[in-house]
Amino acid sequence: MLEALRQGDRRVAASAAIMGLGQLLHGQIAKGLLLIALQLSAVAFFVLTGGKMLLGFVTLGSVKANPAMGIEGDNSVILLIMGIFGIIVLLLYILIWRANIKDCYNTQKRVAKGAAPEKFKAELSSLLDKNFYKTALFLPILGVCVFTVLPIVFMILIAFTDYGGAVIPPELVSWTGLDSFRKILSLGQFAPTFFKILGWNFVWALLSTALNYLGGLGLALLYNKKRIRARAVWRGFPILAYAIPGFISLLAFKFMFSYGGPINQMITGAGGTAIGFLDLDAKWTARAIGLFVNAWITVPTTMLLATGILSNIDESLYEASRIDGASRWVQFKKITLPFVLFATTPVLISQFIGNFNNFGIFYFLRGGLYVDNYFLASDTDLLINWLYNLSIDNNYYAIGAAISLIIFIITSIISLAVYVLSPSYKQEETFR
Amino acid sequence: MKRTLPAAIANLLVIALVIVIFSGAFSGAAESAGEVSGRFDGVLEENTTLRILENDTAIKQGYFDALLTAFNAQYAAQGITAVDANMDSYLDLEQDGPYGYGPDVIYQANDQVMKYTDGNHILPLPVEQLDCYAQTAQTAWDAYTIGDGQYYGVPVNVQAPVLYYRKDLLPANWETDWDDDSNGTPDMLEDWGAMYRFSQQIKTESGGTKFGYMKSLYDTYFASGYLFSYGAYVFGPNNDTSDVGFAAGNAEIGAGVIRQLAGVMNEGCIDDTITVDCYSRLASGEYFATMTTPDLYTMFIRELQLVYTAEGLSEEDALAKAAENLGTATVPALPENGDLSDETSPLIPCKAMGGINGYAISSYTKAPDACLAFIDFATSFEMLLTRNEMLGIVPARSDAANSVGGLTGMVNQILGEGNLVIMPSSRALQQVWTPMETLLSDIAKDPFRPESEIKYPDLPSLKAGLEKADQQIYDAIWTLS
Repeated sequence: MLEALRQGDRRVAASAAIMGLGQLLHGQIAKGLLLIALQLSAVAFFVLTGGKMLLGFVTLGSVKANPAMGIEGDNSVILLIMGIFGIIVLLLYILIWRANIKDCYNTQKRVAKGAAPEKFKAELSSLLDKNFYKTALFLPILGVCVFTVLPIVFMILIAFTDYGGAVIPPELVSWTGLDSFRKILSLGQFAPTFFKILGWNFVWALLSTALNYLGGLGLALLYNKKRIRARAVWRGFPILAYAIPGFISLLAFKFMFSYGGPINQMITGAGGTAIGFLDLDAKWTARAIGLFVNAWITVPTTMLLATGILSNIDESLYEASRIDGASRWVQFKKITLPFVLFATTPVLISQFIGNFNNFGIFYFLRGGLYVDNYFLASDTDLLINWLYNLSIDNNYYAIGAAISLIIFIITSIISLAVYVLSPSYKQEETFR
Repeated sequence: MKRTLPAAIANLLVIALVIVIFSGAFSGAAESAGEVSGRFDGVLEENTTLRILENDTAIKQGYFDALLTAFNAQYAAQGITAVDANMDSYLDLEQDGPYGYGPDVIYQANDQVMKYTDGNHILPLPVEQLDCYAQTAQTAWDAYTIGDGQYYGVPVNVQAPVLYYRKDLLPANWETDWDDDSNGTPDMLEDWGAMYRFSQQIKTESGGTKFGYMKSLYDTYFASGYLFSYGAYVFGPNNDTSDVGFAAGNAEIGAGVIRQLAGVMNEGCIDDTITVDCYSRLASGEYFATMTTPDLYTMFIRELQLVYTAEGLSEEDALAKAAENLGTATVPALPENGDLSDETSPLIPCKAMGGINGYAISSYTKAPDACLAFIDFATSFEMLLTRNEMLGIVPARSDAANSVGGLTGMVNQILGEGNLVIMPSSRALQQVWTPMETLLSDIAKDPFRPESEIKYPDLPSLKAGLEKADQQIYDAIWTLS
């Protein structure tokens, strides 16, 4: 681009001033007119609506609506979304304008070499041939911008406003900078709860991932033994647990561990005292039940995955190791585990992230409790549950967005670090 | 470079200029677009369709269809048609209304409806024009005002706790031993102390397999009445949410009542076990009594009918026997000193938390007068009687309630006497439930803890627990606002 600006002739300058003009001067009529039309469309867009969109993004509205009185007013949330859309259009315009300059400069170089400027038809044909990737990716990229980038950017930007609590449309939302993050990290009741939940969240994610992984691998190894009869039938049982929708399993477990559930019925029937497995005082019991229930739901997935991978291990490796006198434990440590680990590290990372953000387990098992020394949370809540309590139960959307941003940063760093340090990345060729 | 860079800058400047000029030029447009308009001019908007949001039970039981058919027939000449809005009955007008989604008329509980006043999502109504205006108790109307002299909803029915019990499980000698005032009503239906003693007797005699009064005590809606009876309140005057009052007055005495009641139940009172099981267990005779809302009468009848059918009675006879054996009563009175084991304490009325379900009109409607006509029709004497017959609700209109009599009349009387504490019409109410449920389940668990682990052994510790819950609620509302 810089080269184009430095070395460009008067046609490139013309294209920089008015898109397509340089192409017209090169005799590329169709492309020139198309680009001029794009330039005019961009100007029309910003005249008619884009300008308002961008201003709305900055102010988030200035007139409070009163639907009962018929005063339409501004809706800050809509203004924010449309503002992001306006920015995306502006960026798109700049990209096209940049491409238009580069295109004109390329034509200048082509002409300097004695060739004629490329025909529009030939350029169109290249979109189905040499440049087909551009054609194929255009719509998906547009879709990703509108349906993925826009909502994510919206959610991120909410963290920098005062949206939530009493400030929801028709009240006007304002930009508050890093205020939400400051509250999370410094507010009297907030900070201790955040760090306590964060600590438990790490313990939970590590323990549950390890338990699910080792449980699944153990089951796969067990069902892989040739001496077990009707292995396919045994494999079917864990798959049954997997096939039942997760939240139904969770509600069933909640009932099983409740005071009126079958476990307590058996305890009281045998003359014992009912146990509050999931009640207010049941911090570690509830956490342990959460780990067990999560394993119940997730182990079958790991088992299936490991079963497939185990079938690919070269049997001669085991034969050779047996000849060398390796014990079963050594075989597992040196052959099975590295092989499975190599193939499943990305899955392991995704399981860790999934467990880190596992909303359902404690929401269904032990939702609706706020315990002492926690702000609007219980001692089994994960960050994602706390986020829900704050943003849905208590309408603190900005704080919720700030917490989700923190979760995103933590999980991204961990995923990247683990992946980059894993054999899957460092020793890509090992098992090829 | 000499030519290209200025040209590039020129292009970007033009776009920037366009953005600045046209964003500025149109920024005042919204301001000038707004204008205040009177929404009710008394002229019906003809040839219009009204989208009505009703509750699921009314739709399932066929009442809503009957209402729509009757209304549409009456207003056919004006071309006004009311239809099912076909939306979730928990729809949030606040979230959906501004985006053009939502009904014209909404039926929800007063706390839900009144939160919409914050953003003016519902219209203040000229309720004096309505037929039901003079017939509805002021307490019910008060649930639909925010102290600005305007009413934002029209009461339809009263939600209040009702005691359900098994008449056939009363002791055979109740007329001699359990009717101290000889008024023909068993003491346990009039006095929580008697209910407590009776429950204790059943539990002891059955070896802990049968119970008297059973209720999930963590449920704030039903349990806070004990606290209100001794001076507690939810929010201060005019719904002042900075004043949370569950620990106010002698509320700890009410908390002590909850703790005592838990002692004659089983651990099911700590969580929702009893709420889930109460229909079948009352029917099986395992429970003598429980408390819930009037609209669940048919659930108890159905379970009891099933039991009698299984015993060999025909469907019809089983239904008749179920209706004969299922009793309902208003909430009993409480001992003034809060000690349920003390037979000598004078009694005070037991307050209860209640709600007023009603209609409101969305600010986004295009036909406010037609909506008002619909509400007038739906809250007429005849329609509320039909609603009572089909859904078992307690009409907010006193003429309709008195006409039905029985329990309905009694609930309406309690409302009139001020013993029904209506759920505050405030958005902050949603921040009350979880802290209170946590505390109440903790108190309910106390009788089941080993001696050394008891958390609430006396009134000061109960007071401290209530004050902590108040603080939690206050923090939830105010810390981040």
